[in-house]
Amino acid sequence: MDIPIIVLENVTKVYHQGKIDVTAIDGFSVTVNKGDFTALCGPSGSGKTTILNIIGALDVPTAGRVTLEGNDLAALSRTALSSMRRDRIGFVFQAYNLIPVLTAYENAEFVLALQGKPEKERRARVMEMLQEVGLEGLENRRPEELSGGQQQRVAIARAMVTQPAVILADEPTANLDSATAAALLTIMEHLNTVHGITFLFSTHDQRVMDRARRIITLRDGKLAGDERKG
Amino acid sequence: MKIIPIALRNISRKRVRSAITIGSMAFAGFIMLFFAALGQGMLYTMEQNAVGVYLGDIQIHAPGYRSDPDLYTRVPDPAALVDKLEKAGFHAAPRLYGFGLAAASGNSSGIWMRGVDLIREPKVTLLDRQVMEGAWLSADKPKEVVIGKKLAYTLGVKPGGEIVVVSQAADGAMANDIYHVRGILKSVGDAVDQGGFLMVDAEFRRLMGVAEGTHEIAVARVDKDRILAEAADTVASLAPGMEVKTWRDLQPVLAKMIDVMDISLLFMLFIAYSAVGMVILNATLMNVFERIREFGVMKAIGVTPPQVFSLIMAEAVLEAVIANVLALGAGIPVVRYFEVHGIDLSNFSSGASLAGLALDPVWYCKLNTKALTMPVWFMFAVVLAAVIYPAMKAALLKPLDAMHHQ
Ligand SMILES: Nc1ncnc2c1ncn2[C@@H]1O[C@H](COP(=O)(O)OP(=O)(O)OP(=O)(O)O)[C@@H](O)[C@H]1O
Ligand SMILES: [Mg+2]
Repeated sequence: MDIPIIVLENVTKVYHQGKIDVTAIDGFSVTVNKGDFTALCGPSGSGKTTILNIIGALDVPTAGRVTLEGNDLAALSRTALSSMRRDRIGFVFQAYNLIPVLTAYENAEFVLALQGKPEKERRARVMEMLQEVGLEGLENRRPEELSGGQQQRVAIARAMVTQPAVILADEPTANLDSATAAALLTIMEHLNTVHGITFLFSTHDQRVMDRARRIITLRDGKLAGDERKG
Repeated sequence: MKIIPIALRNISRKRVRSAITIGSMAFAGFIMLFFAALGQGMLYTMEQNAVGVYLGDIQIHAPGYRSDPDLYTRVPDPAALVDKLEKAGFHAAPRLYGFGLAAASGNSSGIWMRGVDLIREPKVTLLDRQVMEGAWLSADKPKEVVIGKKLAYTLGVKPGGEIVVVSQAADGAMANDIYHVRGILKSVGDAVDQGGFLMVDAEFRRLMGVAEGTHEIAVARVDKDRILAEAADTVASLAPGMEVKTWRDLQPVLAKMIDVMDISLLFMLFIAYSAVGMVILNATLMNVFERIREFGVMKAIGVTPPQVFSLIMAEAVLEAVIANVLALGAGIPVVRYFEVHGIDLSNFSSGASLAGLALDPVWYCKLNTKALTMPVWFMFAVVLAAVIYPAMKAALLKPLDAMHHQ
């Protein structure tokens, strides 16, 4: 039984660069269901980041409609969008992921603190999540004291710890060596199957695509393929 | 979200950046404190010269004495009045005045004789500390006098020199006697410089035949923070029928000049403060703009614009608090030092006078409430003014733009 969680209808995004208009997304429609483990593929410049940003309400489409868990993003206020990002979405960006002055533990805890969760609950959840992503013992390190892969895992832990409906990850393995990338994917798969969290991640990497259960391909901002495995 | 702990963490973990920001704020605060204290010191010195050296805060005269300083126009029973004033929180010193002629070694000059209460006068004014050569009056040497600087020059006398004084006593008879110079005052004001002839009060009474009453009672507040006009009202109620004037009424030109000086000093401080304000502004702006990306990440993961705004404000205010503690911690001892050890400018200026009062060429700092609070408030005002714009900007930036900010 498929429950749609992300629905994009005819989404278009045009960037104005001086006098030139760049159409990053061109009439793109797709539905992502609850529990999907989906890769968003396509060559550089095809619009992967733009799509993720639009779904995460960090960017607004020029035309078309985006709904997340049934809510039309265009109809939500700034504050409502802030709390939606805080409570329902987990973000993993390609870079500048973490807050540099906070430790791994504090970064992972940050959103829970924003939500006003009590200290005890925060501690339990963060420790559990850091353990799941294999960072126990590194809680007190700051981002600059962690490797790229470890930072990315902190970002995943931060995204996961609130048990959001959806995790949006923009090339989560791009800066990682293949062993680390494979380990990270294992963690993501585990979280997906155990906690039922929907993943949508962009990637260039064939090995990552091989492990996705659904592959959506973009070309020039248009849907060029949608393949389900198994 | 707990803003303060996060703000504190930001400050404590970005050591170099925080040190630069707080350091420049603290330096600015230190300079501001020093200038404010120096300005207050100048004003204080001027007021001390006016009030402290011979005016006193408030003066009591018999009605009519000021327009016609007659030997017979006296405040009756000064001992009782002084007693009442001392019980009401004042120091009070009765004074006797008379005019005469002095001659020494072929020179002569008009003199303004003054009978001094040796116990009470030092509590009201600093006249006893203005002796430049020789020594202050002594009760056991009634024939020795202290005279003004220009008078000594006119008469051509030095300490130990002899002066013959001629005057008319209260009974109309001729009063004359020989005195020796015990001390010469430094420049304290034109009238005293040119004619000041100070003697022990008992000797004045004997010479001039004045047994009762006094010509003037100089009053000083024990608590200098007591409001002058209110103090004058209290004094007036204790001395019914007498004329009670504050130093501001007695020296309106000087009072006005000090007021103008106060304002122009504020203006100068403001210019100096604006210059250091730029340092604070710059440090604060850099601090925020350097971290636009960080704020972008925060907003992307759900921090609301008001929360970003409060966080930046909280950091700036906390830094200002620390900077103020440092500035005061370093500044107060320095200012205290210069309260005691003046900065001597006598090489650059000599013997300037203002409205008949000598200007002290040695500058002292004065740490009063104004000197202490002005820099603190100004620092907070500058920090808030400096940080509002970048904080608003960071709060309102779209998270994506912020994350891509270079
Ligand atoms: N802020 C922007 N202003 C103007 N053009 C933009 C902006 N962001 C993206 N674009 C353009 O939109 C198109 C899609 O960009 P997008 O970043 O979504 O691609 P991508 O698939 O994520 O690429 P990559 O794999 O290199 O990350 C590109 O042509 C890009 O130049
Ligand atoms: Mg991209």
